[in-house]
Amino acid sequence: MNNSLLVVVLASGIAYGTPLLYGALGELLAERSGVLNLGVEGMMLVGAVMGFWAVQRFHVTTTLALLGAIGVAALAGALLAGIHAFLVVTLRANQIVSGLALTIFAGVAGLSSYLGNDLDLAKSPARHQFQEVFPKSWQDLPVVGPIIFGQSVLVYASWLCVVLVALYLTRTRLGLNVRAVGESPAAADAMGINVSAYRYAHTLVGGAFAGVAGATFSLSITPQWIAGLTAGAGWIAIALVVFSFWRPALCLVGAYLFGAFAYLPFVLQARDYPWAPPPELSQSLPYLMTILALVLVSSRAARLRFGAPAALGRPYVREER
Amino acid sequence: MVHQHFRLVEPFSVAENVVLGDHRDVGRTFRLHSRAIERRVGELSQRYGLAVDPRARIWQLSLGEQQRVEILKALYKDARILILDEPTAVLMPQESRALFDTIRAMARDGRTVIFISHKLREVKAVADRVTILRRGRSIATVPAADATPQSLATLMVGREIRPARRDGPREVGEACLELHDVGADGDRGLPAVRDVSLTVRRGEILGIAGVAGNGQRELAETIAGMRPPTGGTVRVTGRKLKAGDARAAIGAGIAYVPEDRLGTGLAPGLSVADNVVLKSYRKPPASRGPLLLVRKIRELAEALMQRYDVRASGPDVPARQLSGGNLQKVVLAREFSGDPVVLVAASPTRGLDVAGIEVVHAYLRDAAERGVGVLLISEDLDEIRTLADRIAVMYEGAIVGERDASTATVEELGLLMAGGE
Amino acid sequence: MIRIERRLEQPRWLTVVVPVVSVAVAFLLATLVLLATHHPPLHTFRRLFDAAFLDNGALTETLVSATPLAFTGLCAAVAFRMNLFNIGGEGQLYAGAITGATIALLLGGAPSAVVIVGMIAAGAAGGAVLAAIPGVLRAFFSTSEIITSLMLNYVVALIIDYLIFGSHSYLRDSSGFEASVFPQGKTLPDEATWPSWAIHGLVIPLGALVAVAVAVVVWFLYKRTRFGFEVSVIGDSARAGRYAGMRTRRKIVAVMCLSGAIAGIGGASQDGDFRHQLDPRGLTQANYGYAGIVVAALARYNPFAVLLVAFLLGGLQNAGYTLQGADFPNGLVGVLQGLLLFCVLGGELFIRYRVRIERRHRTAAETA
Repeated sequence: MNNSLLVVVLASGIAYGTPLLYGALGELLAERSGVLNLGVEGMMLVGAVMGFWAVQRFHVTTTLALLGAIGVAALAGALLAGIHAFLVVTLRANQIVSGLALTIFAGVAGLSSYLGNDLDLAKSPARHQFQEVFPKSWQDLPVVGPIIFGQSVLVYASWLCVVLVALYLTRTRLGLNVRAVGESPAAADAMGINVSAYRYAHTLVGGAFAGVAGATFSLSITPQWIAGLTAGAGWIAIALVVFSFWRPALCLVGAYLFGAFAYLPFVLQARDYPWAPPPELSQSLPYLMTILALVLVSSRAARLRFGAPAALGRPYVREER
Repeated sequence: MVHQHFRLVEPFSVAENVVLGDHRDVGRTFRLHSRAIERRVGELSQRYGLAVDPRARIWQLSLGEQQRVEILKALYKDARILILDEPTAVLMPQESRALFDTIRAMARDGRTVIFISHKLREVKAVADRVTILRRGRSIATVPAADATPQSLATLMVGREIRPARRDGPREVGEACLELHDVGADGDRGLPAVRDVSLTVRRGEILGIAGVAGNGQRELAETIAGMRPPTGGTVRVTGRKLKAGDARAAIGAGIAYVPEDRLGTGLAPGLSVADNVVLKSYRKPPASRGPLLLVRKIRELAEALMQRYDVRASGPDVPARQLSGGNLQKVVLAREFSGDPVVLVAASPTRGLDVAGIEVVHAYLRDAAERGVGVLLISEDLDEIRTLADRIAVMYEGAIVGERDASTATVEELGLLMAGGE
Repeated sequence: MIRIERRLEQPRWLTVVVPVVSVAVAFLLATLVLLATHHPPLHTFRRLFDAAFLDNGALTETLVSATPLAFTGLCAAVAFRMNLFNIGGEGQLYAGAITGATIALLLGGAPSAVVIVGMIAAGAAGGAVLAAIPGVLRAFFSTSEIITSLMLNYVVALIIDYLIFGSHSYLRDSSGFEASVFPQGKTLPDEATWPSWAIHGLVIPLGALVAVAVAVVVWFLYKRTRFGFEVSVIGDSARAGRYAGMRTRRKIVAVMCLSGAIAGIGGASQDGDFRHQLDPRGLTQANYGYAGIVVAALARYNPFAVLLVAFLLGGLQNAGYTLQGADFPNGLVGVLQGLLLFCVLGGELFIRYRVRIERRHRTAAETA
């Protein structure tokens, strides 16, 4: 039973979906403050490479090494995000172009490969990797075994993050403030909220999440460094934020959906299913649904509840109110 | 301060807006104690008669209710002094009454309220003392109990200390602009123009007097086709104008000098030359077929700049670099060169120095002399009395009186402007 | 305290000096990066330059890289000029590649000129139709074109994958043993091969010339026609546009379609000039669309500057591919491009705003 298509796909969907989830959560936070950061792919790759480097270099126990690696990955992602934040918040640059610049700078043809190459990281697999946490007997439980208990710490941590981000946004004062900054920076400013500070903070945290997402690849999924190993996951994370209507809980659902659909073609091929629907079709459904939803959401009320933060993508300048 | 344009976050609830950015007291801690906040907001709203559901989302509320949220924001912060800027502009009569009750409750609590208004009724209804400002100066402060509509109106517009220099009577022709029961909504969905009917004849200057915010801008935009009317008809030289279509209005010969020179009347980043042909670019001499005749346009601009004495280093200068007076000259020059039938000028001398004002007045007179029907909308009563042949007063979106300029007195105009009879 | 105020006038010299200084700063930073990682900077730059422009056949390869960038750069420039952030150039290029390849296969046998013109037209149509979607959504439903065009990129990428890998479509090559194991697109008929001209060893593909022609057309359209005038007015101040009676919504759709059409021609050029089949893997990995936005930004949305920047960045790309290997820093191309962009973007601030650093000496009393 645990070998059935459904279980395998779900279990793998969760595993593959985890970096998507991290990336999306981070981007969600940034976008909630009004900053569009298209550089997720770049930040992920740099997080992946630096996390990998840390694991190879830290001569300590597995747990500490992995912990340190995650920390390094998060830091790397945040530093990169800092460039974007500086450009768009302080220097008022165009957010789209800056984000793309970040992807090019750090991406598969940029810094991440540069570092990977120079630090000679492609030679060997990771010295420490994230393994499954629960004992084998639990993993053999029907259905829930592989799906819930067969995952790594990163997956469980991501669930915690979803809860934390959701609570943060809806139940804390800071979360209220950041939502105001994203919807109406003028109103927030008038209430004494420092718009720039919030935007910086959330963009940096977004970068940290992206870094961790990258480390998930290099330390858990393919525990190796290969140039460009995220293979577009960063872009999917950006789409995921829109798909989830900027709500963390839906990010979770969406990430696993996307993850499952990404994994599906491999499984189907391996099992020689003749009737399989074209995987590209199923993969495109989320994007089509998003566009459809965006159109339907053009009524004022719906847009306010489900739409993008109103100030997304626009620089805030106090005089030009 | 409660502004006319609210600073509210639309998707948020009332309670969330009230408590935004606050660092004290209820919810000082990290967590947002929503229930406690809602309770406190509910208490405040009860106490001051500001009926609003703390859980409701802003976009669900009417403007009157939104204004209550703005006031609640101030009260939540325990403001001792509140300034309300023309608060009844967005309120219906019963809401206004409720507002006055709220203000009195706040005053009873020892708070100070500064209530800015040009409506005499309201001032009498709610104030203890009244200060009248004119042209940025404080003229007088009187106890409200002693004031009468007449006395306040006189203070507002001043006495006729010196005889205003008036133009002589003009020769007028047939009607060139006729409005019949025209209505239009404002930017926030409330009716801003109510059943306005007026006629402008060729060669005359009809002045529309009134305090800003009584629908003048919306009226001008409706005539110019920038705002779709909700009812009524506009006729130019007898022919009905297609509603809400700026291109049709331009084609019918309506020239419009808007209040907002640089944002609406001109494209600030484009050159003077481009701005000169902003409306005429579709026809020769500015273009031939789909092609723009760039050199011709420059020549046109240079000629216009010379004729109308626009001071700038050349026609290629971006518009935003020009001074206010020169900007207005460009706009007027452009509008005139189109050989208009009707000229709608909204606050044309706002922000100009004496010389600039003279120039604008000269143009307006010139236009009337050439047979253009001029609709002059202005808050400056002196300007209107100097230039206009007839004067109509706009109050709360309707025309409340029309007088012949040579016989109208300042007192009666002031009274009409302030909502008196 | 740093005060940033909008400049009233933008002196000419600024618009030249700032980009130059930005580029210089970018190279300086790159030098630092190289030094920190023990690569000799001057030598590296020299090798890049040679590989891009001077080596045997380098210019030709540079043109190969530059041509698609020119198309997507023009695509972005056309839209961004009116504050329409069309980031769907990627998908619009794919769409053009699909329609271009389809026409080529359908028309096989017809005279070459007919096929080529057909491909260009089909490519333009494909890109235009795709771009119309975010255009209409923006014009009539006020939906953000950033998000809709971005989403469509993913959709079209999946469509193009499906056509070759996921189905036995018309476009897929089903002949031969290999075809079922390594799916690939049907090779386009010979008539669909776009001509090229060799001058002194430099091969100029038709696509490059078409790109130049498109740049000229775009320049002309925007500077010398009524259409272009309306675009500049609406791009500068939408309210002034409405005041002048311009049909804003129609303009939005028209500009988006134009933008998409240009990217679509770029897709057709990929089929006809370089790949001679519909090549999903190659196209989706190249990211021409996003790179085009970068090109357009660096060129400050001027069509001729786009050509120049596309050429330079194409050279950089080419050098990157050529020099890939053990003794050359991998990923330097991306780092350089990124640094260039960051510096130019940052420099923009100084053109549009004046930055003043004021001391905090003033007390409240003094400023009163």
